[in-house]
Amino acid sequence: MTTETKILGVTLILTVGLLLGGVFFLSRGGSSQSITGTTVSQIDYAKGQKIGSDSAKVKLVEFSDLQCPACVAAEPAIKRVRAVYPDQVQFIYRHFPLPQHNYGREAAAFAEAAGEQGKFWEMHDKLFETQEEWSALGDNDATAFFLGLTKQLGLNENKIKQAVTEDNLKARIDADIAEGQRLGVNSTPTFFINGRKVDLQGGFDNLSTAVAEELKK
Amino acid sequence: MISNKLSNRIIFILSLVGLAVASFLFYEYNIAGTIICPTGQGCDIVRASQYSRFLGISIPFLGIVFYLTMAILSVIHTHDLPRRVVRKLQVLVAVSGVSFGIYLTFLEAFVIGAFCFWCVLSFIISIMILLAIVFAGKHKT
Repeated sequence: MTTETKILGVTLILTVGLLLGGVFFLSRGGSSQSITGTTVSQIDYAKGQKIGSDSAKVKLVEFSDLQCPACVAAEPAIKRVRAVYPDQVQFIYRHFPLPQHNYGREAAAFAEAAGEQGKFWEMHDKLFETQEEWSALGDNDATAFFLGLTKQLGLNENKIKQAVTEDNLKARIDADIAEGQRLGVNSTPTFFINGRKVDLQGGFDNLSTAVAEELKK
Repeated sequence: MISNKLSNRIIFILSLVGLAVASFLFYEYNIAGTIICPTGQGCDIVRASQYSRFLGISIPFLGIVFYLTMAILSVIHTHDLPRRVVRKLQVLVAVSGVSFGIYLTFLEAFVIGAFCFWCVLSFIISIMILLAIVFAGKHKT
């Protein structure tokens, strides 16, 4: 056996040992505590705005307020989940405008009205993008601002104006709020993965981790 | 043009680097969280796709087997065994590895539509291993 054989052989054994040890150490270090709660709540999946197939293995429900800054902050994490798991996850958006947000409900109504013309998500994105601007406006100005956004999306203004006053649209938002309250939602955004509430203490990145955990089941 | 000895050392070192990359990915594929990925969410998209396994075996595991085989072959190559046989085996394994890498990179580019940084890095390492073999081979003839 040559010296080189010995050197390479020993180096290889050491490297393999080091890697095995590393993987073992990291695996032990990782917390096995689940991010989602244990209680499975019954959610009415027929309601809400949806992206993704009804047969998707994971249903990710968000209770959100269009005027809540934390909901804007959660957007990149949601988009990431949607991009990574386009087929495995159905994302469902439910309204939960908080009482302290004076335009949260009106914004929700405009988003729903845009949805009746097939542009809920476009309006939802625009409202989040411009949230800081319209949150600071006066009553009439905010309504004008929302109408301006629908115009930018090329929506029929008269239909929008009519839709936001319709009872069935209001009822949809009320139903979302009622369901949120029944599920114990008290802040936004609140996420449920297949009926189990997601613990967001570790940040919004927990969403993808929780989805990955659910998919492994 | 490089000597057979140098070529073998290069193959050995590259195999160890590849082994580290494949082991890291193997670990990341088996945890639930997002993968540390310098190029954004590509690694997560690739992991979540149906192509993260080949015949039921996780791709990073195949990577570990590939680099481990290459490293073991280069250790054997330094020994007094018939080197031509070992070199032929090295060529065979390296060509298989690179071919499989081409297939996977093709999937990433045209089917999955996202690139996993670590997978591409591993593909580049495998190409470098093949080049190290090719250049030494030319020298020999």
